[in-house]
Amino acid sequence: MRNRIHSVTTEIVSIEDDVNNIKIFTLSDPDGWPLPSFMPGAHLDIYLPSGLIRQYSLCSDPNNKTQYMIAVQMETEGRGGSSEMHNLSEGMILPVSLPRNHFSLGDAKRHIFIAGGIGITPFLSMLPDLISKEIDWELHICAKFGEKISCQSLLKKYEKEPNIYKYISHGGNRLSIEKVISKIKSDEHLYCCGPSSMINDANINGKALGDRLHFEKFGIDEHLEDAAYQVVLKKSGSVVKVPKGQTMLGALRVAGFDVPASCEGGICLECKTRFLAGTPIHRDLVMQPSDRKEFITPCVSSCSSESIELDL
Amino acid sequence: MTKNLARWSGEIVGLHKTPRSFLPMKNFRCLSLIAGVGIDGDRHATGEAFHSDRPEEGRQITLFEEETIDALLRDHNIILRPEDHRRNVTTRDVPLNHLVGKKFKIGEAILEGTRLSTPCRHIEQITGLELFNQLLNRSGLNAKIIVSGKIFTGDEIRMV
Repeated sequence: MRNRIHSVTTEIVSIEDDVNNIKIFTLSDPDGWPLPSFMPGAHLDIYLPSGLIRQYSLCSDPNNKTQYMIAVQMETEGRGGSSEMHNLSEGMILPVSLPRNHFSLGDAKRHIFIAGGIGITPFLSMLPDLISKEIDWELHICAKFGEKISCQSLLKKYEKEPNIYKYISHGGNRLSIEKVISKIKSDEHLYCCGPSSMINDANINGKALGDRLHFEKFGIDEHLEDAAYQVVLKKSGSVVKVPKGQTMLGALRVAGFDVPASCEGGICLECKTRFLAGTPIHRDLVMQPSDRKEFITPCVSSCSSESIELDL
Repeated sequence: MTKNLARWSGEIVGLHKTPRSFLPMKNFRCLSLIAGVGIDGDRHATGEAFHSDRPEEGRQITLFEEETIDALLRDHNIILRPEDHRRNVTTRDVPLNHLVGKKFKIGEAILEGTRLSTPCRHIEQITGLELFNQLLNRSGLNAKIIVSGKIFTGDEIRMV
């Protein structure tokens, strides 16, 4: 059980229903004290009563110093976090982490955003910042066939903005990521948040953008089909076997090594560990290419060599 | 040395508190100090501080030199606002590093320095600034409250 004083204590002040089985939570300090500030694109770790920890993007204005907002879509096939979130009630105390940011705005003249479904959320904290600074942006929002554009209540204030484009994946109204990328100039950045298929599409078409392509996707899309390997722990001098079907983190835990971890989905980087030898297969969703040369996330990543050496 | 040390006189230039760990500190014109407990409404007094699971009698109130804020800007181009150093009192002209084991008067109250504050990564987490190394040996003073009283910005600080 997490010690309350080691997290930010918030109270759920409102829960509003949105389309697509989404609930929008507004959190504040129980006494209305200002909350720790955050930067556009940041997320929170939410410490659920069951002990689960889940990450949700902040979708409120960073200039609002007393409230955080997060939007949670119910995933019936998920790992249990969204279902537990949807069972919370107004007035409950909800411990959260300090805001963290792996999806920050780059230094660009113009920012182009592509959101898929609930992937609109991080952009909702970016827009107020860009509008107040009069920096150009463009937002493409996609919804699956049979769904509506997510977070409509939060998008309402932008309805007069001419640079928002909406796509529902049927009737020929499908976003061409390739087309969007082809128009990006050298001083512009592209941000993509949505399901794996969308991110993969952006990655394939946007290779030439290099560090000007930013993405954040949900969940783990790789199955643990890697062959068995072993982890050599340099500092402790131990060797831990990772059987097929188990994560590196799981194997380390079974062997009695307590590696701090939070999301266990390759997003939060809490378990980020330096590796010294071996060929890693990176499956985190957020590490910069330069960091991947030095670090690995044992929660989702593995290795293609017979062994990997960690600085543990 | 003791004689010289007794001659100094400084003042309170900022007062700050927060009710819970991680929350931003707010500036106040006046704080109420309660002997043996802490500052009315501050996390160290209510057991809501980040370190409250490791209680320490000598951490009822904390102090920080304004000169360090000046030095961070001058030497490292780091802008640290008084409410961001996470201590309760910002002082001017007070040799905090020499006050461990000493009693000193601050406004109506009397404090006793207990140990030097040490920098911690917690400040870096909250402020987003890389401060740890820069605050080594000048991270302020922890103290206990010997005599209760109200303290105001502008009040004198001097040896008892």
